[in-house]
Amino acid sequence: MDVILKMEVLLITLVLFTIAIPTTYFAERKHPGAGAAILSLVAMFSLILILSTIPSIVDPANNYRYLETYYWIPEINASFSLFLDGISLSLASIALVIIAAVSTYSHDYMQDRKNTDQYYALTTLLSLGLMGIFITSNLLLFYFFWELILLPSYFIIGEWGSNDSYGIAFKFIIITHAGAVLVLLGIGTAFVETGSLNIFQVQSILTSMQSGITIWMLIALTIGFAVKLAVVPAHIWLPDTYSEAPAPMSALLGGVMTTAGAYGILRLSLGMVYSTLNSIVFKLSFIHILAIFGVASALFGSLLAISEKDVNRLLAYSSISHMGYVVFGLSLFPNPLAIIAVVLHLLNHGISKGLFFLSTGEIVKQTGTRIMDDIGGVGSQMPITGTGAAIAALSIGGVPPFACFISEFFIFISAFQVVGLDSFYLVPTILMLSVNVFSLAYSTKFVGSVLLGPVKNNQLHEKSKAIIAVAVILVSLIIIIGLLPTIFTEFIGLVSFQN
Amino acid sequence: MLPLAPWLIWLIPLFSSLFLPLIGKYSGRARDYFAVASIAATEIFSLSIIPDVYFGASAGTDYVVPWLTIIGVDAGLIVDPLSILFANLISFLGLIVVIYSLGYMKGEEGLSRYYFFLILFIGSMIGLVVSDNFLQMFIFWEMVGLCSYGLVSFWSKRVEVVRAGVKVFLMTRVGDVSFLFAIAILYANLGSFSFSYIMAHIGDLPLFTITAVAFLMLGGAIVKSAQLPLHTWLYTAMEAPTSVSALLHGATMVKAGVYLIARMFILLGPLISLIPLWLSTISWLGAFTALIGATLALATPDIKGVPAYSTISQIGFMIAAFGAATSPSSLGWFAGLFHLMSHAFFQSLGFLAIGAIIHMLHTRDMRLMGGIRKAMPFTFALCIVVLFARTGVPPFASFFSKGLIVKSLTLTGDLPIVVVIYAAIALTFAYTLRFTILTFLRDESEYVVKAELHEAPKIMLAACTALAILCAAWGFMANAFASFMHVSQVIQISEIFSSTTLIFIFVLFLGGFPVYLYYYKMDSISGAFKKAASPLINAAANGYYIDQFYDRVIAGGVAKFSSGLHFLETTFFEKIPFFVSIGAIRFTRSVHSFFDIVVSKILYILRDRWLSDEERNKEVVEGSLPSYLVVFLIGVIILVIMLLMTIWM
Repeated sequence: MDVILKMEVLLITLVLFTIAIPTTYFAERKHPGAGAAILSLVAMFSLILILSTIPSIVDPANNYRYLETYYWIPEINASFSLFLDGISLSLASIALVIIAAVSTYSHDYMQDRKNTDQYYALTTLLSLGLMGIFITSNLLLFYFFWELILLPSYFIIGEWGSNDSYGIAFKFIIITHAGAVLVLLGIGTAFVETGSLNIFQVQSILTSMQSGITIWMLIALTIGFAVKLAVVPAHIWLPDTYSEAPAPMSALLGGVMTTAGAYGILRLSLGMVYSTLNSIVFKLSFIHILAIFGVASALFGSLLAISEKDVNRLLAYSSISHMGYVVFGLSLFPNPLAIIAVVLHLLNHGISKGLFFLSTGEIVKQTGTRIMDDIGGVGSQMPITGTGAAIAALSIGGVPPFACFISEFFIFISAFQVVGLDSFYLVPTILMLSVNVFSLAYSTKFVGSVLLGPVKNNQLHEKSKAIIAVAVILVSLIIIIGLLPTIFTEFIGLVSFQN
Repeated sequence: MLPLAPWLIWLIPLFSSLFLPLIGKYSGRARDYFAVASIAATEIFSLSIIPDVYFGASAGTDYVVPWLTIIGVDAGLIVDPLSILFANLISFLGLIVVIYSLGYMKGEEGLSRYYFFLILFIGSMIGLVVSDNFLQMFIFWEMVGLCSYGLVSFWSKRVEVVRAGVKVFLMTRVGDVSFLFAIAILYANLGSFSFSYIMAHIGDLPLFTITAVAFLMLGGAIVKSAQLPLHTWLYTAMEAPTSVSALLHGATMVKAGVYLIARMFILLGPLISLIPLWLSTISWLGAFTALIGATLALATPDIKGVPAYSTISQIGFMIAAFGAATSPSSLGWFAGLFHLMSHAFFQSLGFLAIGAIIHMLHTRDMRLMGGIRKAMPFTFALCIVVLFARTGVPPFASFFSKGLIVKSLTLTGDLPIVVVIYAAIALTFAYTLRFTILTFLRDESEYVVKAELHEAPKIMLAACTALAILCAAWGFMANAFASFMHVSQVIQISEIFSSTTLIFIFVLFLGGFPVYLYYYKMDSISGAFKKAASPLINAAANGYYIDQFYDRVIAGGVAKFSSGLHFLETTFFEKIPFFVSIGAIRFTRSVHSFFDIVVSKILYILRDRWLSDEERNKEVVEGSLPSYLVVFLIGVIILVIMLLMTIWM
């Protein structure tokens, strides 16, 4: 039992978030605003905790992984383990940054709303679920966290959202839950087939076993995660959800939850199942189909965003488009550069989209409208929020030196590497390049009509200190990652999906 | 060279730009002087590199630091004649424009934003030309586009300005995608972005790949340099403050494409003669653009349209000259770059002088102008210098550069191209003369009289004068320039004089005489000719409807398609869950009503058989407790029997 003697940072992180659920509730009740502070502090402290695992992650003796194992349910011989490797470390740390930003901004955004005590408790619960997904290597626990993010999202969207919020929350939960059922089906099959719930054990057992059902596992898992990723045609829940949810919630959904879906495909579908398959023909057709869906989402989302008039829905469609990039990048698996590019793009998109949602949230809150034709000249009245929104928009539009450019660029060059081996990818890659122009079109449309142009809304000014702090931190991150992606790529590059 | 000069020439402006908005919060004056000081420092550092290049090797030197280790890409700088030529041009013109802005932009709102983007623009462009690998270059390439977007939409309160900014950004993005495509192909095949590595190994690639890369890069270059058929954004970019236009035309943005093509000659080396199709494409494209651009400049009513279309045309000259080259030591390559320099001087001067006029008149319509020479004699003198320098009246700079271009094209034997180039030269004189007549020479218009003109602030005129001197003197520096560029040819100035002067003067006469006739001897031109020419003039004044085609057909088409898809999405796709749930509700209802109607009907029928009419009526009125009880009891008995059966079994 020497594990107990070690610092169990991941368990502590989860426990911290669990304790924070009632704490934020009661603290917020007594002192309005305290909930936001506690959640941000917990997130920042957890960030420091998980960064402390870096020495063991970069150590080749640990197989580039940091592991914590605990004995859990003896009846099914389940010892559950928490782990971090380069990919999950990067994703979890950015998730924590976004959680901290979201709760900081909620302090101002939710100020005049009812029942904020419940709001913070639910947000903390949601954060616990999101964190858990990234740091567990136990399939049952993974599914537990996967379901855990659904309920708080449902209530937050329903209770604090706008227009017909419970109807939209219902649509969200039903469709994504249908996806979750498929994930459960895949996980259950994996357990029945291999007798193990550990991702890495399942992978090695599947490699030596080769059974016909593996293919169905792969398909079930991928479709299940794709629903969360909002890949066309499973995107139908997303635009309404993102546009009607309160801005901090949209930032969490768009910045972290979709990332969790992509992480699921990468870690479970591709890493755990796909890499163990033998049939070349099936493998090729599978990733080709994935590429087609990726290109379709990217094109569809960006084209829809061009003619969208509602700010929040524009962001929603751009999320669909960017998840198209991610799925296209995933279809290049197992090209090592493509994996790095995809994870980096998830980070960059998470930060940029998070900032985008938060800053437009402030603009929409002050102007009182979401229709872009009714907003104009915000930049001159709110210089900092405006700059934050502009940089987020340009990053989403793929303009260097902002973050999303460099990861999109990596996706493109890895795509061209794959084109050399598999000429199928030529046409999808060219289509993806054209999406680049459309992305810039909708992001400049946003900048042009909301931030620039004639002033249409008077009496706007920088009311919120929180959004200034959030904008400054996230903008610096966007520029730093844009110029020096090495700080993440070094860690991501350590992960190998080969047995 | 001053220590770290190759790094500092772009790092100083990039970092200074970040501080400008902060300083601007406290003092506008301090911010303006800080901007000037940072570019002056940049200029000093750029100048200090010249001796190293002049006396150094032509291949240049590389400075490298590790950057993206995961894909094996280092950040680095290349110091060779080409990059240092551009760096000096950019920092010099940048300095002139920043000084000019002190007067020109005085009192504008949002100056922190203006200086931020202006300084960043200069820094990014210098970063572009000194990058030693394509990834770094591409990042700066895009940053130049971003800054031009910020500057074109500077007067952002006007809707058309915002639209113009978006259009400029998007159109140039189309070319950027082509460039990105080329870079990605190179990386996928060679595994490196570095110029030195590409130079050493590009020969291993199949010729088809090299050709594809060359054409895709050309695609990027022609959009950035506003060549046909994607030139229209440059006119749209005229919504920018005139000082910005001067910089954008003289040194940054449009020159990036020329730089890329010049750089490709160095990278491809001897391989370039293996792709003759590429070479003849650029000669023809350049010559054709030179001609069409000149006709556009001849017809435009917009005072800023003249230098805008003129730049399109003049860059056509440079690119045509490149087509006559086969290596960086060819005459064509040198002639193109020589013309690039003279164009930078006369075109910036043209813009800055026009800026002084717009500053006073607040209009860009030349038809409203006339007789400005009386109120603004110094500006008039500057515009005369522009007239001579742009058209190449000996001994102004572009006489030599255009002479060299013609010579290089003649040497390769592309006589049809030479004819087109001469036609373009004639038209250059025609449109500049037309501009001078309309604004300065003809009688004062009412509009001008009302405006009460006077000369521009001294600081603006001082900046212009520096350029005017260079316009006159640059031609004589051809030999020094040739040895700076390490070109082996010795340029005989006297030879150019003797061989081309007469032809030039004849050509200029051909271009200028009809313009003179048109404006001063209107009556002598028969009505029939005017009637015949007017559709053509109309077409040219509208840019041959190319821009309308892009706006309506391409942009409009995408917008239509997008809104159609959007309609489908919001009215159908996103409603699918509702359709499904409505379907589900209908289904459960119908199941429910099946049991309600059909099954209960059967029960009624059974009951009808058992009960007589009287009993039934009684039941309807009073209910029939006993019969319900009977049914209940029967049910209980059946249940008990079932229970007992399970126990027995």
